[in-house]
Amino acid sequence: MKSAPFKMHSPITEDEVLVLLKKYGEDARIIAGGQTLVPVLAMRVASPDHLIDINQIASLKRFEVNKNQLGVYAGVRQSELEQWHGLGEAQPLLKMMFPWIAHTPIRNRGTVCGSIAHADPSAELVLALTVLEGSVTLVSAKRKRNVDASHFFIGALQTDRQPDELIQSVQFPLKNPDAGFGFAEFGYRHGDFAVVAVAVIKDKDKWTIGFGGIDDVAKVYKTTAKSIEEVVRFIDGVATDSEVREDPTATSGLRRHLMRTLGKQACVDADQFKRPSSK
Amino acid sequence: MKNHSVKLLLNGKEREAACESRTTLLDFIRHDLGATGTHAGCEHGVCGACTVEVNGQIVRSCLMFACQADGSNVNTVEGLANAGILSDLQQSFKRHHALQCGFCTPGFLMAAKDLLEKNSNPTEQEVREGLSGNICRCTGYVGIVEAVLDVASLRLGKLGGEHA
Repeated sequence: MKSAPFKMHSPITEDEVLVLLKKYGEDARIIAGGQTLVPVLAMRVASPDHLIDINQIASLKRFEVNKNQLGVYAGVRQSELEQWHGLGEAQPLLKMMFPWIAHTPIRNRGTVCGSIAHADPSAELVLALTVLEGSVTLVSAKRKRNVDASHFFIGALQTDRQPDELIQSVQFPLKNPDAGFGFAEFGYRHGDFAVVAVAVIKDKDKWTIGFGGIDDVAKVYKTTAKSIEEVVRFIDGVATDSEVREDPTATSGLRRHLMRTLGKQACVDADQFKRPSSK
Repeated sequence: MKNHSVKLLLNGKEREAACESRTTLLDFIRHDLGATGTHAGCEHGVCGACTVEVNGQIVRSCLMFACQADGSNVNTVEGLANAGILSDLQQSFKRHHALQCGFCTPGFLMAAKDLLEKNSNPTEQEVREGLSGNICRCTGYVGIVEAVLDVASLRLGKLGGEHA
């Protein structure tokens, strides 16, 4: 359980990172929190020759909220955003999800962008970015581009990031102030990977329902419904008709059942949602 | 090749040693600094036995490289007792038999210390959830939870020690 040898680079500017990525490409990995990467290295699933530690880069240690979105840069730890007093008002869905993400020591070190980069289909932040219709800003020595979450996640642990690109930030769009949010998850132990996770956004009679853990990417469904009964019927249909993963942790039948029960719970929560105010 | 020189504060004392890039903070503390109180369990972030405090926040020392901790303030289980006197939390663990083999204990103590600093009056459920990132294979969770709840009540000046 020890990593193979590698060279650690500790740049202090983003430009230095981009030069290193251009030079080493696929032989290099970015390390921020390392909460997924270090086990991967320890088990030698990957053994890159170079690690680029971005923890010294001050320009990446920030998040900012404007009237449209919450932008989180690559150096921001999950616990830092979790403890931000304005999170519940700005981005209630994230506030609901954070306690479900692993455990305190992991969130103290793990970054928001790192979770997005890893693209685990059962990860809460991947579900959040997808259901909120957010985007990812990627930079390389040549260009800067912004990719919608729906195009960024292309499979389990697979993203559109190119070997010379750094995920500079991710953007979580803010929703209508009247919108309601709900989140529900089932895992075998508190903090474990979700077997199924559901995130719901209700904007008047428009419902956006996202499921994590059922497929290779988070799946989002939209409907218009005037009552809880109507949206529950919609989820019932989705659970019946969707392709749903089967693996040693759960049969597809159990996952479909969880889609229905957790889906209903998250919809009820979204319907009764009251946004916290810092005023 | 030990090409990194890492200097940090370990339980308030300045320590320095050379290590490889791939040396985890866990192995650095244990092998290079000789502080073996922190235990190496799963070495991939699942068991919590290696939990230490880095700059005031608990982290898994197996999921961090030592060279990333250069200049940090690191506290481990060795720092809990003061001049040979166990801390109230450690004494509570002893009273409640919150350890059998003791392998997981350093991690549980560091996690429980952090939990109580953030929430001085936790419910049983909050203690269980707060410690859910740590695994005890002797399954001594009942004693561990009682120990944490007891020290919380004692600190709050309530009638403590009813389970002792």
